[in-house]
Amino acid sequence: MGLLIECKEKGPGVYIVIPKGEINTQTYQILESALRDNAASAKALVFEMGQVSYVSSLGLSAIFRIKLALEERKATLVLVNMQPPVALVFETMKILSAQVFASLQEADEYLDRFLDGVQKGTIKPRTPLT
Amino acid sequence: MEQQFTLEETLATDLSQVMPLVERIAQKVLALTASAEETFQVKLALEEALTNAMRHGNLLIAKQVVTVKVKASRERIILDIHDQGKGFDFSNLRDPTQGENTERISGRGVFLMRKLMDDIEFYDAGSGVKMVKTFRLKPGA
Repeated sequence: MGLLIECKEKGPGVYIVIPKGEINTQTYQILESALRDNAASAKALVFEMGQVSYVSSLGLSAIFRIKLALEERKATLVLVNMQPPVALVFETMKILSAQVFASLQEADEYLDRFLDGVQKGTIKPRTPLT
Repeated sequence: MEQQFTLEETLATDLSQVMPLVERIAQKVLALTASAEETFQVKLALEEALTNAMRHGNLLIAKQVVTVKVKASRERIILDIHDQGKGFDFSNLRDPTQGENTERISGRGVFLMRKLMDDIEFYDAGSGVKMVKTFRLKPGA
């Protein structure tokens, strides 16, 4: 199964990313290249994961790299509405646990606090990994 | 319903070959077990093992091959993946779920394989891995 990516602007600098399919060895680069521009300029990316049926470690790494690129610019990402088997992979690996939400409403509360923190200067950019 | 299957394949080191084989085996596992959950687990462990064999074992050298042997029944599946690399120190792997390791970009494949399968054994200094999973869920789960 392949991967399709839809991306639409939710608000200024905040994008909803809708991947459809599997994020695996064959498709993780599709995700990264589709989001390269957004990751370089967005304040936040909201991954609507409801149509992702499978993710492997290369998929986790791709999402993690996007997160690091965002955090180096004081931006962030959240993931919402994961299918249970995919959520279990994230839980097992204890990856991005602060950024995973059951619903868009819960994610919005996190994003509001985050963007407020950026405005007030309490959110600092992440130091790039060496 | 199918009762068992065996499969033996040799793949060139080419990451584009991983998912077609994984998908083919996953379909057979689903036909055997009728369990979407256990099929997901086998599929993921197999993808991780094949990707590791090609990337870290064969170092993506195209002329090196990966051999895959599968023996499955309705009770269990045995997956044996062997590459032509030098192996690795499988006794000294970081736990990617602990401390600062959670912030590392890679290093999660073997941990996932161990979590998803019941038994996992490296051999030939780590250039081969044999994984066993016993199916527990009732058909339809």
